[in-house]
Amino acid sequence: MVSPFYLLGVGLGLGFLLGLTGKNSKKYTSAITFVAFAFFVFFSISWLIPFALKQVTETLIYTAGFLPPFSISLSVGFYEAVFSLMINSLGLLSILFLWKKINSESNALGGIILVLFMTLNMLVFARDIFNIFVWLEIAAISTSGIILLDKNKFSYSAGFKYLLASSIISSLYLIGVVLVYFTNGTLFLNDLITNASGVTMSVTAVFLMLIAIVLELKPFPANGWALDVYEGANPAIGAIMSGGVATASLFLLYKFSPLLDNKFSYLFVIAGLLTFVGSNLFGIKQDKANRLLGYSSIGQIGLLVAIIGFRPFLGDKFEFIAITILVSHFLAKAGLFWLSDVIKQDNIKNWSVLRRKPLLLVLFGIFVFSLIGLPPFPSFFGKWELIMMLSGGYKFAVVTIILVGSFIEAIYLFRWLGYAIKLDFSELPEYKFELNKIIPVVIFGALVLGAGYYAGNLICLKTLNYIPLAFIVLLYFIDSLPAYIKNTLSILALGYYSYLILPNLYETDMLRFIFAVIFLIGGIITLVAGYAYKGKRQGFYPVALLMYVGLALIIQAQTTLEFFFGWELMTAGSYFLIIRGKKSIEHGLSYILFSIGGAYAILAAFGLIYAETSDILLSSLSVATQNITLIFSLLAIGFMTKTASLGLHIWLPGAHAEAESDVSPMVSAILLKAGVFGLFILMIAMGHNPEAEQIGLILGWIGALTALVGNLAAAFQEDAKRLLAYSSISQLGYILFGLAMMTHLGWMSAMVYSINHFLYKSILFLTIGAVVLKVGTHDMYKMGGLIKNMPLAFIAVLIGIIALSGVPPLSGFAGKWLFYNAIIDKHWYFQGAIVFFSGIVAFLYLFKLIYSVFLGQLKDNLRKVKDISVWFAIPIYILIIGIMIISAKPELYLKPLGTMISGFYPNGELSWTGGLANAPYGYWNGSGVMITIGIMFSLLFLWLWSLSRKAQKVKQFNIVYAAEAPQRPETTHISYNIYAGYYKSIGWIVAPIFEKFWSTMTEWIHSVSDFGRRIYNGNGQYYMTHILIYMLAFYFILMH
Amino acid sequence: MTITIDKIALFLGIVLMLIGLYGAFSLKSIIRIILSLSIFDTGINVLIVSLGYLKGRTAPIIDGDKVTVENIFNVAIDPVPQALVLTAIVIGFGVTALMLVYALKLYQSKKTLDINQFSDLKW
Amino acid sequence: MRNSFLIILIAAFAWFMYDIFSEYQTQEQLNKTAAYYNSNEPSEAGAANVVTAIVVTYRGLDTLGEVTVLFLATLIIGFILKNKAEKIIDSKYKTSEILETGAKVLVPGSLILGVYIFINGHLTPGGGFQGGAVIGSAIVLLLLADPNKIVSHKLMNFIESTSGFFYVVIGILGLIIAGGFLDNRIFPLGKLGSLISAGAIPLIYSFIGLKVGAEISGIVNNINETELTDKL
Repeated sequence: MVSPFYLLGVGLGLGFLLGLTGKNSKKYTSAITFVAFAFFVFFSISWLIPFALKQVTETLIYTAGFLPPFSISLSVGFYEAVFSLMINSLGLLSILFLWKKINSESNALGGIILVLFMTLNMLVFARDIFNIFVWLEIAAISTSGIILLDKNKFSYSAGFKYLLASSIISSLYLIGVVLVYFTNGTLFLNDLITNASGVTMSVTAVFLMLIAIVLELKPFPANGWALDVYEGANPAIGAIMSGGVATASLFLLYKFSPLLDNKFSYLFVIAGLLTFVGSNLFGIKQDKANRLLGYSSIGQIGLLVAIIGFRPFLGDKFEFIAITILVSHFLAKAGLFWLSDVIKQDNIKNWSVLRRKPLLLVLFGIFVFSLIGLPPFPSFFGKWELIMMLSGGYKFAVVTIILVGSFIEAIYLFRWLGYAIKLDFSELPEYKFELNKIIPVVIFGALVLGAGYYAGNLICLKTLNYIPLAFIVLLYFIDSLPAYIKNTLSILALGYYSYLILPNLYETDMLRFIFAVIFLIGGIITLVAGYAYKGKRQGFYPVALLMYVGLALIIQAQTTLEFFFGWELMTAGSYFLIIRGKKSIEHGLSYILFSIGGAYAILAAFGLIYAETSDILLSSLSVATQNITLIFSLLAIGFMTKTASLGLHIWLPGAHAEAESDVSPMVSAILLKAGVFGLFILMIAMGHNPEAEQIGLILGWIGALTALVGNLAAAFQEDAKRLLAYSSISQLGYILFGLAMMTHLGWMSAMVYSINHFLYKSILFLTIGAVVLKVGTHDMYKMGGLIKNMPLAFIAVLIGIIALSGVPPLSGFAGKWLFYNAIIDKHWYFQGAIVFFSGIVAFLYLFKLIYSVFLGQLKDNLRKVKDISVWFAIPIYILIIGIMIISAKPELYLKPLGTMISGFYPNGELSWTGGLANAPYGYWNGSGVMITIGIMFSLLFLWLWSLSRKAQKVKQFNIVYAAEAPQRPETTHISYNIYAGYYKSIGWIVAPIFEKFWSTMTEWIHSVSDFGRRIYNGNGQYYMTHILIYMLAFYFILMH
Repeated sequence: MTITIDKIALFLGIVLMLIGLYGAFSLKSIIRIILSLSIFDTGINVLIVSLGYLKGRTAPIIDGDKVTVENIFNVAIDPVPQALVLTAIVIGFGVTALMLVYALKLYQSKKTLDINQFSDLKW
Repeated sequence: MRNSFLIILIAAFAWFMYDIFSEYQTQEQLNKTAAYYNSNEPSEAGAANVVTAIVVTYRGLDTLGEVTVLFLATLIIGFILKNKAEKIIDSKYKTSEILETGAKVLVPGSLILGVYIFINGHLTPGGGFQGGAVIGSAIVLLLLADPNKIVSHKLMNFIESTSGFFYVVIGILGLIIAGGFLDNRIFPLGKLGSLISAGAIPLIYSFIGLKVGAEISGIVNNINETELTDKL
């Protein structure tokens, strides 16, 4: 093993020699420094390999040939090597990134950076507490030097504040060191750990050292100086500070962590959690990119401090959790700071310029995802383990705080991502695409993906299937090909995947089979409509497939981890699909925030289950006996964010309405079923618990009210897609209601509704979407009379609404029939009445939909409009055939469903005599009804047709106007505001109370954030007092 | 309690620290703040030296007269704080020099040394 | 308001210090580390001044760190101030006759004193830093007497860099041929108390002295050459 002193020798020796070189050799400084860093990296790897192969154990290296504590010693072990590798690779890439800058500045800059990174290595290795003081000071001084990379008044004042703060902090540390020496007679950390004196002075001394290191890590709220530095310095320096200096300081904390007794663990936990939540909260209001990155960086480090405080709790999982979260943060934060320097935009709204180079946008997305802890990035697994371990230790309050903090972080990161994806950038200045600046970012982006894969393998023992994810990456690389090629590939991929999993599921698990069919076959059918799009359709296929992969993983999941993994992937993919829509920036944000909030509720529930059963199998949901109400409520809330139940529904109308024509059915007919599937899993578990009856009752009420409000709101819409979106809300309300009954017939109806909703909502959204593509508007009052131009669309919508309204003969009736049987059976008469009433309301909007769009007068501008694209018609008519089959032969699917549900609720099933279904309160023969109605319809049609031959045809303009041009054109449409009367009487039911509630919440959080961050008043003197107050506060709280 | 020289030094050191801190927190001129921090540092250095004191002993330098190889164990004080304080002083010197140069540049940027004027970066 | 708040804060800090030192007792015995140094240093490191042996050998890494601090400070100050190649001679900076004459007398003496201090660092209270500081103050005096005096940056850089480099080389030599990094026993220890003794300590301290002297002079020189009217 190479002695770490060679690293020191190379670093310092070269640093000293760089001072010798004259101005002429300035242009070689980058190259020289780069070579030095290459040596550093080589050293780190040469240490890491033997440790990783377990050939050697941790070794102490002495200086001057004397044993510690009499001489200074360094320690090299596996974790030291890991950290050193992280730091040195950051250094290497930083030099590459700053190549031109270093060459153009005096050669001092290269020397300063070299010495800084050498020092950071030494901080990792050093085992002598006074020696650590020296290196801390050197790190502080060299940092204050590189802050001046851009010399302007901001960097000067930031650097000065940094010096002020760090001189107070290092003084505190120094006092601690001297007192430790005075009381313990040693400066050797290992001596101190094995054998610390118990006298008060010694304890206080240890406290001083610990709090000084915590202060180095910028704890909230004593961290104004750090934020100013992040804002004022060049972003590349931000990368070094956040990735390098903070990483080394964190390792110091880790080194000192064996000194923690209960009191000090408490210090770390409080300081860390306070920082994690506080820093993220104050970040919400921030719109300067670099400062925001600073807030985020500080928050992440806070979480890591808390994790170190929890070391005793986390047992052998501690290193995995800490390193995964740290690595994600390290790679992502450095990458983000670098991106900030590449595009040179400080306002987060201007980050849309990333789109000039799609590669940069993808990298940005990767980094944001890995910060938030979404799969497949390492922090996902780290956070998962952290939540499980903390829950296992019954630290539920801490779990809550961590999830709240993560959620707040997600708010601003996703808002930022939304800006980057959506806002206009045509006015903004160009930026240079320099290879030496892009390569480091790309490398870190690739590393974080690789690290995610590695972490996933460590934790799940290779049960996770990465092939679909690899396919998505492939799709990204061929993104410049025409859309039809990618469409075909995607359909083939989904087809192959279906072929792989469906037959097996059919044998083993009917419930999962049905949902897999909805997800995968439904995916294929809706993708067919994609052929209608010309051009490349960049970015669509990777994200669409991401959603489908997530959905498939949910189906296949055996453990709660796999389920959550799939759930988050699905959420991520659908977020990108939704935000592709035209005015979707807000809707995308509210969708992802509700989804993440819901996902965290689910995660917390899984944690609670793990706490009791010590098991992550999905089946352990049914085993849990403690905290049942809490677990089930959390899961229900989590899944209901996806089914958009009342109160959690406000994201849906906008998201679905603004989505592209073929995306709406994906996110409505298919995606919402993921929530339903989750609810099924939940209810299966609840079925085993008599206590769950209460929750069922509440869920039933929520379902009924959702159905009512959704339908009423739909009736008042003028936007066709919004109408369908509200309709989805109410349909999902029915499903929730059916599920909540927890009886055989209730579940039957929920299942039937799920299948039917998939069919007719796909038809309606595809058709209306296709119509919208032709007429160029969502507003129904701008359409009308399209029946002759678009007969195909008309027939499709007609069949769709008949099926939806639940009148015979189409399949929707089966759901209704089962539904009312179930309600009577369950004795839920009040809720039943509400549901019944909302069923009637449904007629109102369905009528409006078909009438406003297809009947009435044709608008002038639509006179030449053609029928919908054939690529939309194909999937629509395939689905119509599906509806026809299950309408004519309902026993085809009702019988298997009955068998399946009997596995959960054996009592009260339908009894079949041929095609005749018997329920306790009546019987029904689907085929018979179909035939009867078919005959009646034909007879009536013939009769009308014969009458119509006598009728006189009147042209549209065969009427007389009063020679007045209408002021508001929409008022000339007969169905505009057609239900105004109803609105007057019952409109209050659909008053946007929930929208108000959530927007008040948002405003409130923003005000808190805006008020709180004013403690960072920019004055270095105040920052010094913050530091002292912080230290004293902890001292008086902990020691007295 | 007997008053010994180390206690006096200790007390003086702490007083210097308090004076330095108060100055650093209350004065408005950047130069004065730097000087105050320097006083604070000096206080810490005095404190460090005083902690190495042993009653009635002398410096750990073998001069062949009062201190010899044989008796150094019994007549010399603890050498470690002295070594530490040397390092601390030099580091303090470096930091102070750096701060002063910063002050120079800050003055050039705004023609003032009032620290309240340098809060462009905030929130 | 703010002032009374500050007084409370300082009082709290004073209370904190009182809490720490209320149980303070003057030490009666050397602790184990100090006892080890005082009893073994003469035979192990061979320097008459125990503190020097600790500074240069036992805790040599700290000292290397200190040197680095000074080195960094000069580097950064040079980086911030970015001297011009040619110095503008401005006759309006005139100092008094007494200062000029005094400097002429004192500067050579100070330089020699500085060298004496660092060469004898292992024997007397003194050493590289102290000697370097004396040399530095000689240069300060020189510049005070004649602000237009040109002190060669090249020479300063050369002294600083080479002495720093050789310090590191000696350290590495210790790693290769003696017990460890910065071990002074790469040379024989010699007779305790004589000038050529204590292995590499006098050599290291000389390099440190030269380096510190050059650095302090460099810092002062840099600041001296920066005119306050410079634009950023």
